[in-house]
Amino acid sequence: MVKKYLLLFLPLVLFLLLTFFLVKGLFSEARYEVSTQVDRQLPEFSLPDVMDEDQLYTRQVFENQVTLINVWGTWCVTCAIELPFLTSLREQGVRIVGLYFEQDLDPDFGGKSLQQIRTDIRQTLNQLGNPYQFNIFDVNRDYSMDLGVTGAPETFLVDMHGRVLLHHVGDLNERVWQDKFLALYQQAMLEQKNG
Amino acid sequence: MIAELGQLSLILAMMASMCLGFYPIVGAIRGEPRLLIMAKPMAFAMFAFTLLAYMALTHAFVTDDFTIKYVANHSNSLLPVYYKYTAVWGGHEGSFLLWMLMLSGWTCAVAIFSRGVPLIMVARVLGVLGAIALGFYLFLILASNPFESLLPYFPVDGRDLNPLLQDIGMIIHPPMLYMGYVGFSVAFAFAIAALMAGRLDSTWARWARPWALAAWGFLTLGITLGSWWAYYELGWGGWWFWDPVENASFMPWLAGTALIHSLAVTEKRKVFKAWTVLLAISAFSLSLLGTFLVRSGIIVSVHSFASDPERGLFILGLLVLVIGCSLALFAMRSSMLKSNSRYQLVSREMMLIGNNVFLTAATIVVLLGTLLPLVHKELGLGSISVGEPFFNQMFTWLIVPFVVLLAMGPMSRWKRQAIGDLKSQLLWAVLLGLVMTALLLTSFERFSMLAVLGTFLVFVIVLTTIQEILLRTNQQINWRNLRKLSRSHWGMVLGHLGFAVTLLGITLTSNFSEEREVRLNIGDSVELQNYQFTFKQVRHIEGPNYSADGGVVTVIRNGEFVTELLAEKRFYPVQRNVMTEAGIDSNLLRDLFVALGDEFTDGSWGLRVYVKPFVLWIWLGAAIMALGALLSIMDKRYRLVCVSKATQAKNIENRQIAGTGADFG
Amino acid sequence: MVSRWVLFFGVLVFSLVANAEEKYQFENPQQRADFLLLTKELRCPKCQNQNIADSNALIANDMKRKVHQLLLEGNDKQQVIEFMKVRYGEFVHYQPPMTPVTFWLYFGPVLFVLTCFGYFIYQRRRNDGQNVAQNITGSVDDQQIEKLKRAESALKDTQ
Repeated sequence: MVKKYLLLFLPLVLFLLLTFFLVKGLFSEARYEVSTQVDRQLPEFSLPDVMDEDQLYTRQVFENQVTLINVWGTWCVTCAIELPFLTSLREQGVRIVGLYFEQDLDPDFGGKSLQQIRTDIRQTLNQLGNPYQFNIFDVNRDYSMDLGVTGAPETFLVDMHGRVLLHHVGDLNERVWQDKFLALYQQAMLEQKNG
Repeated sequence: MIAELGQLSLILAMMASMCLGFYPIVGAIRGEPRLLIMAKPMAFAMFAFTLLAYMALTHAFVTDDFTIKYVANHSNSLLPVYYKYTAVWGGHEGSFLLWMLMLSGWTCAVAIFSRGVPLIMVARVLGVLGAIALGFYLFLILASNPFESLLPYFPVDGRDLNPLLQDIGMIIHPPMLYMGYVGFSVAFAFAIAALMAGRLDSTWARWARPWALAAWGFLTLGITLGSWWAYYELGWGGWWFWDPVENASFMPWLAGTALIHSLAVTEKRKVFKAWTVLLAISAFSLSLLGTFLVRSGIIVSVHSFASDPERGLFILGLLVLVIGCSLALFAMRSSMLKSNSRYQLVSREMMLIGNNVFLTAATIVVLLGTLLPLVHKELGLGSISVGEPFFNQMFTWLIVPFVVLLAMGPMSRWKRQAIGDLKSQLLWAVLLGLVMTALLLTSFERFSMLAVLGTFLVFVIVLTTIQEILLRTNQQINWRNLRKLSRSHWGMVLGHLGFAVTLLGITLTSNFSEEREVRLNIGDSVELQNYQFTFKQVRHIEGPNYSADGGVVTVIRNGEFVTELLAEKRFYPVQRNVMTEAGIDSNLLRDLFVALGDEFTDGSWGLRVYVKPFVLWIWLGAAIMALGALLSIMDKRYRLVCVSKATQAKNIENRQIAGTGADFG
Repeated sequence: MVSRWVLFFGVLVFSLVANAEEKYQFENPQQRADFLLLTKELRCPKCQNQNIADSNALIANDMKRKVHQLLLEGNDKQQVIEFMKVRYGEFVHYQPPMTPVTFWLYFGPVLFVLTCFGYFIYQRRRNDGQNVAQNITGSVDDQQIEKLKRAESALKDTQ
């Protein structure tokens, strides 16, 4: 008899268990979290500077220095919003490198000309501040894909060994910097000083 | 002014539901007929006031009353007038008002069409429905009021209806779907009423059966229309995406399918009583869960309403109250149930309960597949996705034993079926089915094991259905013998054949469709399965509230003109939205489908071209299933309840007066 | 490296002149079938809930292009899926991985079916035994059985 009771209460118990997760789910961020890149060595690459195609960069530019890699584009509205804050970070001595990609450039069908892209970048950076040491041009967005980038803006914190410490999707502002980045950044800087 | 009237009548409807949820229940417990007779008038009042509120909102839409926030957000003065009528359910608040209109409508229908049922039972059922309605009226008024005013600052024009919803399929899809969702509330209420009364004999099953069938039929049509709409409106050529919102409607359908079969067994053989009650509760609970999933934004989906955790919490609270209480009641009361009917392992009862097991397993697959990503993430195990490959795999496994039982069930006898007879009949179906499968599939160029399996299962269903009819007419199919079979029997036959038709459509479309993503200049052509699609021109089209590019594509097969397709790409300026209207040529054998993509700088266009064999059968089969449900409802047994209601009611009254004192006539 | 970069723009100009009919070209039908299947099974990470075949988002197009490229390079389906999973996590594939939680996803329904049928068989066996007992007492209706049982339990209670 007790067994039968247990069986009959099973649907209720399962339902209440489900409710628990539904309540939890209701108040958590619905978007998925990217964490595949964290603790991973930056992949190899060889890409030109967006302003000068003869200037080539490889992974070495991220060695021995703690860097923020900021994925951006002039077409991206949110990127424009975070540019002033990033510029203030640069003024505080943070090394920021841009990973630029162009959404209107289809590797198969072409689109915006290189000249136009450069003009747009100059204009945007003059207007909103230039936080970047230099900008790597991810021409056909392959490197973005290697980094698990889904759009712009996204920011990576990389330590002196070229290892990803943090991958942030969305705009970087004062609050996000304080909450997510600062502690990790300071630790990485400490290591850089000592090492 | 009229909007205020609408608001007022909504409050009055809520008060009616409060009375309905309280007095008749108390009356049933304390045995006071004075309270019981309040049930029906209150049910009518609830419906009438809800209808009034609904009409007031419709009026606001038709007269472009942008002082109302909901109208300003979902309509526009340029919107064609017929879409203004349908825009009423184009957003969360209005569609929930429609939901409530349906709920009160079903309640009203129960009040009208249940004169053969003892008053105390009707009072309990209506009371349960009223109590559920009360919760949702509160939600509507407090958390999502469609009459919320923007005064004193209101916009000159509205933000327009979502272009996705400006379509004929959308006009009928939500009402049908809601009719189905909400319709399960009636079977639910009957089950709860029976639990409350502590009289779980098979009578409640007989009363609830036509209601469950009706709800199931509507839900079938609703899902079908949604699938059909997605097919031609979203421009991806797909008809089912295993999206959480679709799953939300599929779960109650699966549970409902199990319910209508289980009700039949309970009614006829007085077995599986507790199980049937649980299914009645589940079907409606899953409807509510679906409503919650769609409206809370808890799960990421292409077509969910704007998310709002507070609203979500409100619905979740109602959900816990309704489902939790009913499951608790079930757990406490159904332990008294005992099935004393005797049947063997090979019997119709076992086939039907076996089918129930597989339908429930399918429901569990969809439920887990929809909710487990959430649980997985909340447990900190990372984000996962559950989609098409998983569901297809699971359903492929489930469908084989399901069809075997479906084939044997109708031919089997109640209580005990001789295995030998069944074997020889099945053998015929299997052999003939194999031959027919081979014949059908040779007409396709490719070979696919899944296509063989699916087609074979379809033929087994069709052949065993024919065998069953032969069996019931003593091997003589003639008009007189066929007419002897009851309507509900024909309902079953249509239901099963409809399922076979849908299954055939799914099988052939999934395995033999072809598509190309091409880039064409005017005059270019692409060939697919002997159809030559030629890109003739792009026309500019001005619609009432949009402008469009219309790509004209002519189709030629073996030198003969087949059809001219117009694939549109519409731009709706108010919401700055781009929509594709695919150009489709449909017949029973195949659909030709063209969707227009982007224009490239050199003047060429991106196009997607599809040839989809037998895709129409998917929806055709569903329509046949719904027709089967309709036939079953029209069975004489249920009509008798209406026709001789007076005499029957009297009989029951007499019996009850003579019987226990608690029940009143 | 510079040459690759120049080559890219060269290809770009060339592709503007040439009239490539199909957006993605394949060497054989199997490749095309794999491509269609993969683009349906891979999820667009930026979108609400769409596969990359149906989505027009930039990332979805880039992924489609990558899938195409990887297939032409001779990778099989599983390798392409792995490639994407390394970059975007398990989330990117619509077929969930096997974890302690998803175990229930795969085997929960199966266990349910097995439990149910096990229960039916157990119950039928037991009932068969009871039927024999009832045949001895002759034909009794349900109410009488109920009464008998009540009497029986009452007897037990008194003992």
